[in-house]
Amino acid sequence: MNPSTFIKFASVSFQKQVTYRFDYFVSVLNGFLYVFIFTSVWKVIFAKSGASGGFTAESITTYAVMAMVIRISFSMEDTAIANKVRDGSVAIDLIRPVSFYMMNLAECVGYSAFHILARGIPILIVSALLFGVHLPLEKLPVAALSLTMAYLILFMLNFATGLLSFWVIEIFPFMLLKYGLINLLSGGIVPIDFFPASIRPYLALTPFQGIFYAPAAIITGHVSNERALVMIAEQVAWVAILAWMCGLLWRAGQNKLVIQGG
Amino acid sequence: MPYLEYILAMGNFEYSIEAHNLRKDFSVSESGKGMMGAVKALFSSKKRAVHAVESVSFSIKPGEFVGYVGENGAGKSTTIKILTGILVPTSGEAKVNGIIPYENRRANGMNIGVVFGQRTQLWWDLPVRETYEMLRHIYRIPQDTYADMMKKLSASLDLGPLMDMPVRKLSLGQRMRCDIAASLVHRPQVLFLDEPTIGLDVLAKENIRTFLKEMNRTEGTTIILTTHDMNDIEQLCKRLIILDKGRVIYDGATEDLKSRFVHDKIMEVEFHERVETLVGIPEVVVVSSSGNKMRLKFQNGNSGIADAISRLASLYSIKDISVREPSVESIIYSIYEKTTLLPKYKDKG
Repeated sequence: MNPSTFIKFASVSFQKQVTYRFDYFVSVLNGFLYVFIFTSVWKVIFAKSGASGGFTAESITTYAVMAMVIRISFSMEDTAIANKVRDGSVAIDLIRPVSFYMMNLAECVGYSAFHILARGIPILIVSALLFGVHLPLEKLPVAALSLTMAYLILFMLNFATGLLSFWVIEIFPFMLLKYGLINLLSGGIVPIDFFPASIRPYLALTPFQGIFYAPAAIITGHVSNERALVMIAEQVAWVAILAWMCGLLWRAGQNKLVIQGG
Repeated sequence: MPYLEYILAMGNFEYSIEAHNLRKDFSVSESGKGMMGAVKALFSSKKRAVHAVESVSFSIKPGEFVGYVGENGAGKSTTIKILTGILVPTSGEAKVNGIIPYENRRANGMNIGVVFGQRTQLWWDLPVRETYEMLRHIYRIPQDTYADMMKKLSASLDLGPLMDMPVRKLSLGQRMRCDIAASLVHRPQVLFLDEPTIGLDVLAKENIRTFLKEMNRTEGTTIILTTHDMNDIEQLCKRLIILDKGRVIYDGATEDLKSRFVHDKIMEVEFHERVETLVGIPEVVVVSSSGNKMRLKFQNGNSGIADAISRLASLYSIKDISVREPSVESIIYSIYEKTTLLPKYKDKG
């Protein structure tokens, strides 16, 4: 897909989000509430038990805000493929001379772009004013790379889960499993540092900590530069592995596809 | 390099569309009745193979306008979806403009236009104009070619007033006009129409038919049309392919359908007085009668219908008489119903 088509798909998806204004206001409030809850919880934990996991009361607040802001910014319509398969409109996507994967990525980017601008950034600014956020600016270029990889990992997990709808009509159980794993293992809620040391090496064998932990730890300066580069290398590896798996799934799925409703 | 084959295939080929022994099976899992059945299905699901398309072969030359008909579930839409690259056949082979659609879906997509009457390819939340802009990017249409084609489509489908309307506010007829235009902006060589007139009123249907006829004539677009409206077929399609239970049961000229399969003509006769039975004209059978009127069926025999009428007129006192040929619709209906026995159709494949 050429860049102009990609941008066109993304911008249409962005525009679509703009039309749902009420949703938007509710979701900003909701996002902010989450930031408030998690920073408050960490504050209490740190006040009671002192610092741990290499965090201070200040840095854990920054981490909690950033992890939540990244989560909000990485909003994706993860049921889009399943819905299109369910109502048969996936047929329309497939008559077009564009890659299904790239088209979904472009639409996803447009969707997320809206959530970055309309939710992520405002929530970040308000949280910074209210709770205090300390971002080392020199980490930003590396963090941007990590964020990009994190986005691709999350996208591909969603894409792969969506493709399961080519086999089974109801993918909701798989979605629940995915949500559970991401909530628990991605570092979006609890930084990986708080997991027992005996478990952490195994977590590194999953793509999950590359989703929120890596970018949040890097952007907040929680990890050293050397550690940051290792984490990014792991993310890149996961992007490659997941891209390959998505390719396999897609080819296998095409033989299984049934178009509902004639 | 999905486009390499497309470029290689750009030359001339004898057929626009070729289908050879296409077959598509779907496996359907059956769950038992009620809650227990559902629980059982979790652990062991019985899979049943459904043959949506059993064996379909045909070839269509560039510029042909072909009607593709059959009852619901006969396999029409499945065939179209194989030819458009959406579905992969279980076995058999298909080529569209020399490209195997399900292996080179994207390359095939550049050459074809598709309208699914029951779905829209317009972007639901956007003004109509934006869909065409999207398509210009997707098909990489040069700006001047695009402007020319849009002018033409807009004029013949009267899109002007609709351009700035959001798609969700369009009526069905308006939406269909926009959808048909959307399938043609990139000047495809082959156009697949899957029930494009479904649910439209008579006038809207007529406008669309006029337009399609024009496209086929001026642009030389190969069109394959799936429909349940036999008026579409009679007015547009010189050739007709009839499908039944996943097999082609007729492939030939629409005109020939009448002469080949219909040996009956219907006569409506009004007599001056009430006639109970007809005697002396064996080739005529009474279908129904009411009052002085009678509906008769004439079965082509050795003698022509004129002979039968003249004998009828000499034996009975006739006030009025009219002779009708059954419509294509009634012929096809009777083929579905197995009341007209088809001579064994020979598969060309």
